[in-house]
Amino acid sequence: MRRSLGIFLAAALLLTAAAPAIAHHAFAAEYDADQPVTLKGKVTKFEWTNPHARFYIDVVDAKGVVTNWNLELASPNVLKRNGWSSKILQIGDTVTVEGSRAKDGSKMANAKAVTLANGQRVFSGLQGADAPNAPNPNQ
Amino acid sequence: MTKRIAILTALIFVFALSAAPQQRGRPVPTGPAPRLPDGKPDLSGVWTGGGPVADIRQGLAKGESIPLLPEAEKIMKSRQSKDDPEANCLPTGIPRIAPYPWRIVQTPTHIFFLFEGNIHSYRQIFMNVNKHPDDLDPTWYGHSIGHFEGDTLVVDTIGFNDKFWFDFVGHPHTEKLHTIERYTRKDLGTLVNEVTIDDPGAYSKPFKVTFTARFMPGEELMEYICQENEQDSKHIQGPAQNPNENNPLTGRTVR
Repeated sequence: MRRSLGIFLAAALLLTAAAPAIAHHAFAAEYDADQPVTLKGKVTKFEWTNPHARFYIDVVDAKGVVTNWNLELASPNVLKRNGWSSKILQIGDTVTVEGSRAKDGSKMANAKAVTLANGQRVFSGLQGADAPNAPNPNQ
Repeated sequence: MTKRIAILTALIFVFALSAAPQQRGRPVPTGPAPRLPDGKPDLSGVWTGGGPVADIRQGLAKGESIPLLPEAEKIMKSRQSKDDPEANCLPTGIPRIAPYPWRIVQTPTHIFFLFEGNIHSYRQIFMNVNKHPDDLDPTWYGHSIGHFEGDTLVVDTIGFNDKFWFDFVGHPHTEKLHTIERYTRKDLGTLVNEVTIDDPGAYSKPFKVTFTARFMPGEELMEYICQENEQDSKHIQGPAQNPNENNPLTGRTVR
C-alpha cells in the first residue's frame, strides 16, 4: 500500500509539473524552456501582485558576489487555487528555485518549482504550454 | 496491488486530461444541463476556457484553414509578441478568452460575462434588443445582442475596434469584424461555443471555430488587476508567430 501511494504521488507530481501555463502572455516569448536554471538564495522581497506574483532572491556566487534575481510565478489567483498564500514566502527565507531563464538575458526567470525553507517543494502553476481549452469537439 | 496502482494511475490520467488547468485534479461535473423556471437553458455559473488563447486555428474543424487576405497576413507577420494587447493588460476582445475563470450572469434583459482575468472587465449582451444601433463607435467588445434558438444562445456582435489580437500568434481583424457566437450547454459541465468570424477586411470568407468551456462548480471569481505590476512586456521577445526566432540568449533560430 505504501509503495502504491508512493507511485501515486510520483505520478501526480509529474503531471503537475507538466501542467499547461496560465499566463496573459505567450510563455515562449519571454522565457526559454531550453535554458533551465536552479538558484538558491535568500528571499529579499515577495510581491503578491497581478498579473504575476514575483519574488526576489539574493544569490551569492563562489566569489561572494551577490546577484538579485527576479522570479516570476503564476497570478495570485492561480497560486491561491493551487494552495499557495501571500505568506508562503518570508523575507530572509532560504529557498531553491527551479525555472527557465528570461530570453533577454536579464536576471529574471520563470519559477516552476520552489523548495521552501521547510523543505517542501511547491509548484507555481506556470509552465510551458498555453492552452486552457478542452479538446476541440470537431477534431 | 498491481490492480490498485493501475486504477490510481488511470484516475490521475483521466483527471489530468479532462480538467482545464484552473481545475486540475477536479473531475468535470456531469449531469444534464440545468434550465430556468421559464424552460430556457441556465448558462449561469463560473466557467473556464471557451475561446482561443494560443492560436485561433486550434478551433478549426479538421482540414479547414484560415482564409487570411494578403494584407492581413502581412500585418500578422509584422506583429511582435511584446505588442500583444493582452500581454499589455488590455482586453482580449472576441472570441479570444483569457486563461482565467469567468462568470455568466443571466437576467431576462441582459446576459453578462464577468471576466476575472485579463482584464478584470465584463461583456454585456442585450437580450431585449433586436437591432444594433446605426451609430456605433469602435470598442474592444463591440455591441452584442442575443436571443435563444432552441437551447442555443446566439450572440451577434459588431462595432469592434481593430486593436485586439485573436491569439498569441497575432491573428488580426478589422473594424468590419462581425462575430456570431452560438453557446450550447451540452451538459452540466460543458458549454460549447461555435463562433462564426466574418471580416471581409482581413479574411476572404467567413470561417467557424469551436471552443469548449468547462464548468467550475463552487468556484468564485477573485480580483485580478493586471496593471498592478506588469513587468513582462519589456522582456518579451520575438515575432508573435514564432517567438523562438532570433533568440538572443541561445543564438538559436527556429523556423
